[in-house]
Amino acid sequence: MMSRAGTIGLRVGSILLLILLWWAASRLMHDPDVLPGPLAILHTIETDLTTPGPEGNSAFLHIGITLARIFIAFFASMLAGIGLGLAMGLSRVCERSLLAVIPLLLTTPTILMVFVAVLWFGYSEAGGLVAVMAVVTPYVTVNIYEGAKAMDGSLAAMAVTFRARQPLLVRKVYLPQLLPYIFSAFRFAFGMTWKIVALAETFGLKYGIGYMFFFWFEQFNMSQVLAWVIMFVVLMLILEHGVFARLERRAFAWRAAPAR
Amino acid sequence: MRISPTLERILPGAITFAIGLGVWQIVSLFFLPVYFPGPGALAERMIALYGDPASYVVIGETLARIFEGFAIAMLAGTAIGLSMGRNHAVEVFFDSWIMVLLTFPAVCWAFLSVLWFGLSEAAPILTIVLIVLPFVALNIWEGTKAVDKDLLDMGKVYGADRRLMLRKILVPQLMPYIFSSLRIALSLSWKIALVAEAFGVASGVGQKLIYWFQDTRVDMMLAWGASFMIVMVLIDVIGFRWWARRAFAWRRHFAT
Amino acid sequence: MPPETTAQIVPGQRQGAAASPVIAVDRLTKRFAAPDAVGRFTVLDAISLTVEEGQFVSIVGPSGCGKSTLLNIIAGIEPYDGGSVRVSAPAGKVGTEPRIGYVFQSPRLLNWLTVQQNIEFVLEAQNVPRPRWRPLVAQYLDLVGLGGQERNYPLNLSGGMQQRVAIARALAIEPDILLMDEPFSHLDAITARKMRFDLVEILERAKPTILFVTHDLSEAVFLSDHVYMMSTRPARIFKHVPIAITRPRQPEDARIFDLEKTLIREFFSVVEARE
Repeated sequence: MMSRAGTIGLRVGSILLLILLWWAASRLMHDPDVLPGPLAILHTIETDLTTPGPEGNSAFLHIGITLARIFIAFFASMLAGIGLGLAMGLSRVCERSLLAVIPLLLTTPTILMVFVAVLWFGYSEAGGLVAVMAVVTPYVTVNIYEGAKAMDGSLAAMAVTFRARQPLLVRKVYLPQLLPYIFSAFRFAFGMTWKIVALAETFGLKYGIGYMFFFWFEQFNMSQVLAWVIMFVVLMLILEHGVFARLERRAFAWRAAPAR
Repeated sequence: MRISPTLERILPGAITFAIGLGVWQIVSLFFLPVYFPGPGALAERMIALYGDPASYVVIGETLARIFEGFAIAMLAGTAIGLSMGRNHAVEVFFDSWIMVLLTFPAVCWAFLSVLWFGLSEAAPILTIVLIVLPFVALNIWEGTKAVDKDLLDMGKVYGADRRLMLRKILVPQLMPYIFSSLRIALSLSWKIALVAEAFGVASGVGQKLIYWFQDTRVDMMLAWGASFMIVMVLIDVIGFRWWARRAFAWRRHFAT
Repeated sequence: MPPETTAQIVPGQRQGAAASPVIAVDRLTKRFAAPDAVGRFTVLDAISLTVEEGQFVSIVGPSGCGKSTLLNIIAGIEPYDGGSVRVSAPAGKVGTEPRIGYVFQSPRLLNWLTVQQNIEFVLEAQNVPRPRWRPLVAQYLDLVGLGGQERNYPLNLSGGMQQRVAIARALAIEPDILLMDEPFSHLDAITARKMRFDLVEILERAKPTILFVTHDLSEAVFLSDHVYMMSTRPARIFKHVPIAITRPRQPEDARIFDLEKTLIREFFSVVEARE
């Protein structure tokens, strides 16, 4: 069994190896336009972060706007998904009608959603939001629907005998039972959201990290594309593993450790 | 009035479906078909597509790329997932690579692949592999962790060598994971292929999508999208259902 | 003593050499890391026992005292921390390693293979030549009373039948040593009693060396030539009783009953004193 230090060491080592391979490959390529090395990219990132970009906007503006879009779209999708999933669990009518539509939405490729949203809503924030929600909400809905189906009916019946009404029922009986399903959907939905936001920004929105991807891609500027990709990935890794993983651990701390 | 049970089951779904179609048709009347096609207009365009032999060439090109990328991702991903399950050092080494790779949006790889390989076949295939492989590896790895250790011990006591253990104990337990990986990997692969084609090559369904997008023709975009979706759903349903029946025959013998 | 030592397997000595015990356990010690990671606690404490060729030896102790761990160590799938364990082939089987069959508490069958394929699995593992497979499977399934069940799947069989398949599997490799870990404890009393009789009958013909673990003292007395009694936490052997009653034995035999009474009294006094 490897010690904790050994595990961390191996992880760090593997990332370092990746960077080393990158550096070696970039040296082999000679042409800095094909594969810039890690140092060159670091320099580019530094420049991007400290000086105003090509249209006079700072990198932080783009990053901030992307983050804002991600969080708004994510919360909107989660809320809609939870609402719809619960409705499906409680009402047969909802269940039947949504079951006809959801598989279709789940199968539709993201790029088609983005294209259609952009053409329908123009180059506006609404378009981006719709595109994300069209993909993420069905996924969350299905997850919560499973949870709603698994809810303990006897608890609701008990609450009803005490004359509890819908809002109270939802808050105190349904939502707590759905919590594990909400959490499981949380992380994956977040992952989906930022990828769709990146795609939507590429095509249809002004400002944002995706917008910068496409800007530099059109100019065949490998350094800048790589720089922005790395900034994006690092940011998302920090969010995913720093923030979410920690939240998840705290939320599930009450679960007893599995027996040997 | 007595309704037969089968009818009772499908009637609500069918009614919802019919209502949905009706609403769609009504809404579409407010718009130009090129902007918001109604069911009839869309069906018309799709039939035209299916009727044109040139469409099948396009679809074939996309399918070829999907399957190449998918095959590489499945094979390499399964191998890596298995070795991660067997060896703790391998596990720790690769899981950070996987975490990083899983974070990359498809569009990033699509761009990078084009910048590296230009408008060639390699770009979409590489994009697919870079996204699907980590996912498959992760999934198979999870599967190895769920293997029944008691059965492995039994095999060890009776002196089974590595190959025998793999064939008779490990792989049968991994089949559900391999199976679900395959299905999800294929579903991911074709969606990624479309994104990659939109940026990276001069042919294929993805290229059609971006072409009609730039022409602001929602109707043609939806026609191509829907036509291709149907193809992929058919492959999924026919291919996997048939295979599932064969692979899990032993479960059907379960008496209770 | 390096921490991850496993049992030493000794191939057969030359013909005519003095027979050494088939299983020799000398002051075996095993420690587990405690779940709260504060030090390690001792599971097996200086266990010593020997099993001679052809003997039926039982280890009796309360559940959870480490009997399964002991068997696992002897079978070579768990390491130990102190003392020594030697498992030898019977004298005369020159140069080959001893064949070990293991019947676990739960059948541990491969549910996706038929009964026949389950047995063939261990035959393949033991490099038994393929032409011998079919006759061996048929012979030993017949022996445990499951002739004709070859093509059935384990999930279609009752618990008792599954366990019988596991026994047939262990016997089909014609083992030198048979390890049995409370094989009848999950069966109902009637089935278990029948299977004990069947086991004695089967062993009359095959005559392997047997190490049998159980929490049931009367079962041990009925079946064995020697009984080792074990206490819990940490596990220690506190008594060794040879059973001199001639075979075939009847469970209602007064001699067995008397011996049982004495041993039970002693057994509980020791075990309860520890509580």
